[in-house]
Amino acid sequence: MPSLVDSSSLAKVLVRASPDLGDSMGVHFGLSTRDPSGALVVGYGYGEWLVLASPDSAGDVVHRFEGRPYDGLRSVIDVTHGYAVLRLTGTDAAELLSRLCPIDLSDEVTPTGAVFRSVVGGLSVGVIRDDEAGEPSYLLVVDRSYGQSLSDMLGDAGGEFALAYVRPPLPGM
Amino acid sequence: MSSHRLSPQPGEVIDRGRSFTFRWNASPFAAYDGDTIVSALAASGERVFSRSLKYHRRRGLLTGDFNDPNGMVTADGEPNVRAAHRLVRPGMSVSSQDTWPSLRFDVKAANQLVGRFLGPGFYYKTFMRPQRLWPAYDGVLARFAHGGHAPTAADGDRYDQRYVHPDVLVAGGGPAGMAAAIAAADAGARVLLVEEEHHLGGHLRWGESSDLESLRAAVDAAGIEVLTDAVVTGRYDGNWVSVLQRSAPGATPHFRERLVKARAKHLILAPGLLDRPYVVGGNDLPGVMLSTAVRRLVNLYAVRPGDRAVVLTANASGDAAVADLTRAGVEVARVLDARQGEDIARIRGRSGVRAVECSDGSVVDCDLVVTAVGWTTPLTLATVSGARAEFRPEAARFVPVGLPDDVSATGGIVGDGSLDELLDHATAVGREAARRAARSAVALAAGNPHARVAAAPESFAVDIPDLRPAEHPMLFLGRTDGIVDFSEDVSAKDLKSAVHEGYDSLELAKRYTTATMGPSQGKLEAVNSIAAVAAASGAGFAATGTTTGRPPYVPVSLGALAGRSHQLLRRSPLQAWHEANGATPLYAGSWIRPDHYGDAAAEVRAVRENVGIIDVTPLGKFDLRGPDVPDLLELLYVNKWRKLAVGSVRYGVMCAEDGVVLDDGVTGRLGPEHYLMTTTSSGADAAHDWMERWLQTERRDWQVHVTPVTANYASINVAGPRSRDLLSRLTDVDLTPDAFGYMRVRTGTVGGIADCVVWRIGFTGELSFEVHVPAGHGVLVWEALLAAGADLGVRPFGIEAQRILRLEKGHLIVGQDTDGLTQAYGAALDWAVKLDKPDFVGKPELLWQQIRDDHLRLVGLQPVDGAVVPPEASQIVEDGTRIVGRITSSRMSPTLDRAVCLGLVAPHLSTAGTTVTVRLPGGGSLQARVLPQLAHVDPEGVRLRA
Repeated sequence: MPSLVDSSSLAKVLVRASPDLGDSMGVHFGLSTRDPSGALVVGYGYGEWLVLASPDSAGDVVHRFEGRPYDGLRSVIDVTHGYAVLRLTGTDAAELLSRLCPIDLSDEVTPTGAVFRSVVGGLSVGVIRDDEAGEPSYLLVVDRSYGQSLSDMLGDAGGEFALAYVRPPLPGM
Repeated sequence: MSSHRLSPQPGEVIDRGRSFTFRWNASPFAAYDGDTIVSALAASGERVFSRSLKYHRRRGLLTGDFNDPNGMVTADGEPNVRAAHRLVRPGMSVSSQDTWPSLRFDVKAANQLVGRFLGPGFYYKTFMRPQRLWPAYDGVLARFAHGGHAPTAADGDRYDQRYVHPDVLVAGGGPAGMAAAIAAADAGARVLLVEEEHHLGGHLRWGESSDLESLRAAVDAAGIEVLTDAVVTGRYDGNWVSVLQRSAPGATPHFRERLVKARAKHLILAPGLLDRPYVVGGNDLPGVMLSTAVRRLVNLYAVRPGDRAVVLTANASGDAAVADLTRAGVEVARVLDARQGEDIARIRGRSGVRAVECSDGSVVDCDLVVTAVGWTTPLTLATVSGARAEFRPEAARFVPVGLPDDVSATGGIVGDGSLDELLDHATAVGREAARRAARSAVALAAGNPHARVAAAPESFAVDIPDLRPAEHPMLFLGRTDGIVDFSEDVSAKDLKSAVHEGYDSLELAKRYTTATMGPSQGKLEAVNSIAAVAAASGAGFAATGTTTGRPPYVPVSLGALAGRSHQLLRRSPLQAWHEANGATPLYAGSWIRPDHYGDAAAEVRAVRENVGIIDVTPLGKFDLRGPDVPDLLELLYVNKWRKLAVGSVRYGVMCAEDGVVLDDGVTGRLGPEHYLMTTTSSGADAAHDWMERWLQTERRDWQVHVTPVTANYASINVAGPRSRDLLSRLTDVDLTPDAFGYMRVRTGTVGGIADCVVWRIGFTGELSFEVHVPAGHGVLVWEALLAAGADLGVRPFGIEAQRILRLEKGHLIVGQDTDGLTQAYGAALDWAVKLDKPDFVGKPELLWQQIRDDHLRLVGLQPVDGAVVPPEASQIVEDGTRIVGRITSSRMSPTLDRAVCLGLVAPHLSTAGTTVTVRLPGGGSLQARVLPQLAHVDPEGVRLRA
């Protein structure tokens, strides 16, 4: 039975720079990795990284990345309040997502660590496969203003799979 | 009503342990679970299910499957249901379509009396003149439109979509399709097997077959995903394959239709063959059936199709039908073997088959005529994949030639053979498909940063054994005229007549007669149409060619195309508060917003007299960083930006290259290389695209990062003469006029929330502060403002009040007071356009506009009769009829207690004091005077700068 958790309280920091920064960020576009602090560093776009960290740590994350030496133009922006994040977990999670998302979610094409941005039910959504305890798990990142719509869509599609909300969406999400 | 139900048959699909009743034209009928509507009716002795399109002739079962043109009914209010395919269910209410007063006595059958006048082109020739009667003709002809009536109630059923990515998709679940699927899966491919009927097996289902059981068991064991009652409706570039899946009511999960969008690495076509009708006099009488229809009825549904039969056979299917009929207790009065030159000359009867005139002159009484005269190859998926249809005269059918590398075919579409030969061919095709799919996977993985390397495919192609179509006599048109297109009531004589009138190509004759253009879409009638045109034109079969097949292969409902019903709305973090506090929702673009809280006029007065707060979160917001941001602003805005100081805000207007106004907003400088830009709410996405387009294509060397942060902030405008009093109670920002002047920006804490951005601007025309709060704290700050300002008379105001306030002030809204042709000077933005800048987007066109000086101008207008508000878009006219402008915005002003407007007018009418005539939609008109400025309230801006 898949579950859906509102993880919007995670700190979110967007780092933009030349794609070359990927070497020092530890990950390039299309992949994700955990840094030593436990933050999930996501290659979110070409020359764009999204860092997901524990709630209320955005200031530290911004400070940490701004403190790293870099010669070119680099933007480190706290977007914690700008994105809603939903975590969809379970053996049926990929099948549920296939009702809304056109990307091949098989283990061969999108294994854990894979990142892509695609259409999910008509919305532009960042999808990060981040398995938990051996179970397929997806972090779905969407513009905060669309968070409720995405949540509603997943709930609708998830009826077929007995989707469980572990925690209801945040008010006003 | 006699029962035609047979004793249990091997392979029957009905469940005799579950019987129920349903209604057909209001009368009760019995059925078993697993029956189709038609099989249940046929089991009760019903032979007529519809009336034909033009002549309203009685029509009975012909093919006994989804393609049956005579089985279109209305079921539980759903029109055009394929009754020979749709499973009947308890309590279902089924009725015939377009029959009056009843199916048995249909008044429109009178058309048969004047049938000789209703030939091809009848409508074109008859209803051309006089032209003034076209509307009347239209109304009359619409009454003769065939088909069911669209329901008026909303369809509450569920439609769904799904994406799948099989390595191999097999279209067709007969023995060849099953074998190909099994072989592909055994070779390691992920396989999706799609079958139109309710069960796998194809013709192996007709009778007991150990081969079928073996194949089904192998399909299960191979882990193949099987979709039954599903059809591949189209194949597009890159093997994007659309599959329509149906679901019975009560099934879990339930949906009426689901559109499965498959990106298959390889597609195998295994649709089998279609039994082709014979064109001969009387071939559409109830009781004339194809051999496969008879075999379905007897073997799947245990229904005796008649009492006394004549069979015309040219192949094994006809021979097998004879055996089935004999076993079912039907008297086979005569078997005419076309391979021996025997033929039917004509079929006699009125309400149904009574007798057959044989080619030897004998007449045989019967109530059932069965034909097996040849096969139609369903080539649509092959031809839309790029193959061409090649006619094989020795086999009397087409075959696909030239399939692309990622599409294969097997089974009857390729050729004939014993079951072993078919399975061998299919197995090889399945293995080869898996090999090619693996090769594609390797190629795809090369461009995918996170794909795992696929297993290397076999190096060598699999040998595919030869499979050729068996020889078959050419049997298309009989000795007498008969129906070619059962859906459209087109006869061979009609097609001959069309050719003689000059429509001598197949595509022309098709369109003139509408043959192949009905619900069957050529599946049954295309080949016979070719034969009729070829015979009439003398061009020969191969030279006549084929019609063009296009997706979808079967009808797809709009519901399936639309999928799940989702309303994608953007919500401000304050939206829940608005809803809880009685706001009337306004759907503005993608956003849902509060239109008003019950009394927009009172909200306006609160802002003018005290203070109000409005949620302006949807304003587009962009974080701009980098040393070249001033260059970007200089390029995209028509005004100047280089001297914008840190802590200052400036209004800007963006134009396209043609000088047309794109967007407007304010941008504040937060730091030396850090800016915050706002755009209109509806134009935010376009503005983002616009900026990225210039940065990524024309100015790639510029060091600028544009990051959308619209949803990062809850934005609240605090407006009114007491706004400073209110906000100062909650912020550490010094709001005194000297410290925080008009068009300035500050950052600080508001309501205890740090990192807020506050700027002093004034869309409403009042002293106002726009506060951008980290979105998650929006409700907290909003409620804090309301609580802190209770003694100041604070109240929330909605979009309607904001629109009134800005109109009173004469502030334009891009897209409302401008349109797709309004250049900057036309929008009264002369003051903003700085032609002395070296360059900016739109400068050449604006320079030319200024020189031309012939454009419409945006002006403030006040109706002479202040009590009348002309509706927006009302035309401004001159000399009674000549349009010289229009009203772009209009409201009753609560502040002035009179109507106020903005409008675009011709240059000679734009002088202050000019009176213009506004034509009202109801037919009247009013006079309005042009103001010297856009503003109706506080034109000097005293309140704004207070």
